[in-house]
Amino acid sequence: MTAPLVEMRNISVSFGGIKAVDNVTVDLYPGEVVGLLGHNGAGKSTLIKVLSGAYKRDGGTILINGEEVDINNPRDAKGYGIETIYQALALADNVDAASNLFLGRELMTKWGTLDDVAMEAAARKVMGRLNPNFRRFKEPAKSLSGGQRQSVAIARAILFNARILIMDEPTAALGPQETRMVADLIQELKRQGIGIFLIDHDIHTVMELCDRASVMKNGQLVGTVKVDEVTDDDILGMIILGKKPEKVA
Amino acid sequence: MRKALFLAAIMLATTSNYALASGKLIAVSWKTFQEERWKTDEAAIKAVVEAAGDKYISTDAQNSAQKQAADIEGLIAQKPDVIIVVAYDSDGILPSIKAIKDAGIKAISYDVQFEDPDSLYITFDNVGVGRLMAKTMLAHGKKEGNFAFIKGDKGDPNATFLFSGIQEVLKPEIDSGKIKVVCDTFTDGWKPDNAQKNMEQCLTANNNKVDAVISENDGMASGVVAALTAQGLAGSVPVTGQDGDKAALNRVALGTQLVSVWKDSRILGKEAGMAAVALADGKPVSSLKGVSTFSSGKKGVKMNAILLQPDPITKANLEDVIKAGWVTKAEVCAGVKAGAVKACD
Amino acid sequence: MATEKSLNAPGVQKEGPIRSFLRATELDTRILGMVGALLLIWCTFDILSGLVRPNDGLLGGSFLTPRNLWTLLVQTSSIAVMATGMVLVIVMRQIDLSVGSMLSMLAVAGAVVQVFQLGPWLGVGHPVIWIAGVVTCLIFGTLVGAFNGVLTAYLQIPSFIVTLGGLIAYSGIAFLLASGVTIAPMDRTFDIIGGGVPQSWLGPFWSWLLALLACGLIVLALINGRKQRRKFNFPLRPIWAEVALAAIGAVAVLGTTAVVNSYAWPFMLIKQYAQAHGVTIPPGVQNNDGDAICMAGDQVVRCTEGLIYYTGYSLPVLITLAVGAAMTFVATRTKFGRYIYAIGGNPEAAELAGINTRMVTVKVFALMGFLVGLSAIISSARLDAATNALGQSNELYVIAATVIGGTSLAGGVGTVYGALLGALLMQSIQSGMQLLNLPAAFQNIVVGTVLVLAVFVDQVYRRRVK
Repeated sequence: MTAPLVEMRNISVSFGGIKAVDNVTVDLYPGEVVGLLGHNGAGKSTLIKVLSGAYKRDGGTILINGEEVDINNPRDAKGYGIETIYQALALADNVDAASNLFLGRELMTKWGTLDDVAMEAAARKVMGRLNPNFRRFKEPAKSLSGGQRQSVAIARAILFNARILIMDEPTAALGPQETRMVADLIQELKRQGIGIFLIDHDIHTVMELCDRASVMKNGQLVGTVKVDEVTDDDILGMIILGKKPEKVA
Repeated sequence: MRKALFLAAIMLATTSNYALASGKLIAVSWKTFQEERWKTDEAAIKAVVEAAGDKYISTDAQNSAQKQAADIEGLIAQKPDVIIVVAYDSDGILPSIKAIKDAGIKAISYDVQFEDPDSLYITFDNVGVGRLMAKTMLAHGKKEGNFAFIKGDKGDPNATFLFSGIQEVLKPEIDSGKIKVVCDTFTDGWKPDNAQKNMEQCLTANNNKVDAVISENDGMASGVVAALTAQGLAGSVPVTGQDGDKAALNRVALGTQLVSVWKDSRILGKEAGMAAVALADGKPVSSLKGVSTFSSGKKGVKMNAILLQPDPITKANLEDVIKAGWVTKAEVCAGVKAGAVKACD
Repeated sequence: MATEKSLNAPGVQKEGPIRSFLRATELDTRILGMVGALLLIWCTFDILSGLVRPNDGLLGGSFLTPRNLWTLLVQTSSIAVMATGMVLVIVMRQIDLSVGSMLSMLAVAGAVVQVFQLGPWLGVGHPVIWIAGVVTCLIFGTLVGAFNGVLTAYLQIPSFIVTLGGLIAYSGIAFLLASGVTIAPMDRTFDIIGGGVPQSWLGPFWSWLLALLACGLIVLALINGRKQRRKFNFPLRPIWAEVALAAIGAVAVLGTTAVVNSYAWPFMLIKQYAQAHGVTIPPGVQNNDGDAICMAGDQVVRCTEGLIYYTGYSLPVLITLAVGAAMTFVATRTKFGRYIYAIGGNPEAAELAGINTRMVTVKVFALMGFLVGLSAIISSARLDAATNALGQSNELYVIAATVIGGTSLAGGVGTVYGALLGALLMQSIQSGMQLLNLPAAFQNIVVGTVLVLAVFVDQVYRRRVK
């Protein structure tokens, strides 16, 4: 077996004395989708924000391709090829889709100015792959629908050849058709060898899209299971009771 | 222990000794020390009081009416003979003045008038400042033509006092049509840059046909002169001012400003100090030099007042301010051509 | 061309000519509205001032004369320069209340260096003096601005509080620096920046040259934009719309230039200049309505034909225009500008996108401080004096100009040229009322009303567009 793409070992995060994440270990292999499950406040989002650089960990180590790395802010994370699609649809509402796609990594002309035309061209190319109906490149993001915004967010992640993708409830704001589109996209990204952490409430989405699932409760890891080896009820039990099913234990 | 007692005894002896030599305590309640001029006033009062062998104490109300009331209570508790008050709020101070009188202490209203019939009011004659501006303009500037009035802030009673003095002198000329008022504006916050804009618009509206400018202070005069300079008129259109600003006195020497009416706060302080010492010694108010009756306040209360005459500084008497040590010759004469002004040679 | 067809797609056809013109040229209709309001205000004041005292304005008053418009531009410059920076501050969801007090402090500091320190030491008029004055204002301003930014970004104190503290504290420092006295006169060379002396007037030749250069740049930018879009096969504007845009730009530039180029030097200054430089004054017939000078016998008098000089653009106006262009460039063409707008739109998203939002905040405040320094130079040079009263309550006018110019206090939205127009609109009202000799109290009432009205109209507009 190849080395894991990401290993998060014994991660702990506290907020004012409350342990939001307590000694949790998860890992992710290339071309694999790992689901993170748990109730609200179970610590999934906090754990993943440590990887994306939005939060700082209080304890534990992060390894990328077997090497220990230090991630202190979103810039560090991006440097290691970690891209995140946030639950809150992190777009700047007042700037257009193309600018949002390249936010923080703008294309520049040889004069050192923004190359908006080149960015729009690249945006049209990548969006053509993801969401061929998308036309509103020059309109502020706030005028886009939920699905359009989500496709911009996903396009942003894949545009920069991410190796590790974090998706925080990518289908939460979407209709059925758009959800289908995201599912297809995830399959496509898997084939390209990208590792994906997928956070979701919906067990069915996880069962369908993921290879493995890690379940958290009250900041602790209940356990990680292979999705093929368990039933929906097994996972529900892990989420609600915090107990690992006996057959895989 | 014995040593401490001994020290205390000596201290007691010295203070009472001091008290014996004069027996009098003069207190001042200042409204603020944030503006530099009040330090000048204080030095003058203190010098007179201490030269007479009396003791000087003071408080600073830091621009707060409440603090000033508390300050005065504290001063009364120290049983002074006279309290000089620079009121922050000329109406709000009246209960404190009553408390002073009730304690058998004499009150002096310094620079800012509070209307109390039993107190003495010492100030420069503000109406007189306006009169002096206008008189100097008629005598040494322009006697007729188009006049512009650049007045101070509308909310400040001094702006109105000044203007009534100006009007008093110029009214006959205006009525006879010799003087035509072409601009007449208040200036928000006495701000020089506002005065500059007002003057620019005045010149635009009149196609530069302005013969004289009555500006109510030196700061605004600087804005007026800047506006005149841009039209090549500075020096040919006389401008008034007051305060004896260093920059204004320099303009007087350069010829771009006609006059700066100067109120020497050291003279004001000295007069107040002398009056306080005399009152503390029990002399009646009527025995003081220059006392007159004043009733032109807001409520028209009759009170004894010493009104000092300010000094109009023009090219002719610039050496007065230099001799008085108010400014140095170098400051006044910066950029002045040799032989142009007597005081600078 | 296929790309042009998309612009004429069904639905667009039903538009009236004005709407389709606006759509094709992509002109900002809010700005057009402001320009309309500005022209209306100007005409009203010209008519009103004409009723009080007839003059040679376009409508018979004193407002629409080259002289008044020229003065208006100079009077606007100090507030306008600061407003260009305030746009970025407010777009980033911050506020800077300290600019007025900071201007006092910087102007006094610059004056202390010039008049009190270097003047006596180097001798009045030494060239180092004015340079030192300028550098002091700019560097000190940048540092103070950065200080505001650090407190806001790194110590997480709300900028409202940081700069409210600055508003109070900096005026105190301004007082202490010179113990409250008015410092004057400033260095002669320094005064040129203020626009009050002939040396700071560009004259018609250079003004026209500059105007032609600006027109050339407008055309070049349009051509380049079209070329770029064609390269990537993007939709193009119809050619007639491009031509219309170029024409509008050229008319604005050339019109402004024509106005400033027809304001003659004041009579006295032409006379002084001619006498000082030995220019012969031609003989002529006296006419007191003329702007030229001539000799009637041995008297120098006003006349319609004779020796005349025109002012052209004055230095503070050129500085303002240059700052406006530079700030527009920063806001729209640089990463820094893009980040400011992104932060204003969604600070969290910007941070997550890897933008160092704290550093950007510090830089924006530092830039604001630099511009306040520039304004301090302009206003103290213009007044030929520095006092702690200079700049007082300017923060209100700067913020008002920015908001009137369409910048939203909710952040994320605002343009530099809008703020410039906002500043011009506000100064127009003040100057116009001064021209009518109305008391300052009325001016305050009107300016306050206009501010509220402008924001109201803007919101109605936005709702309708949605």
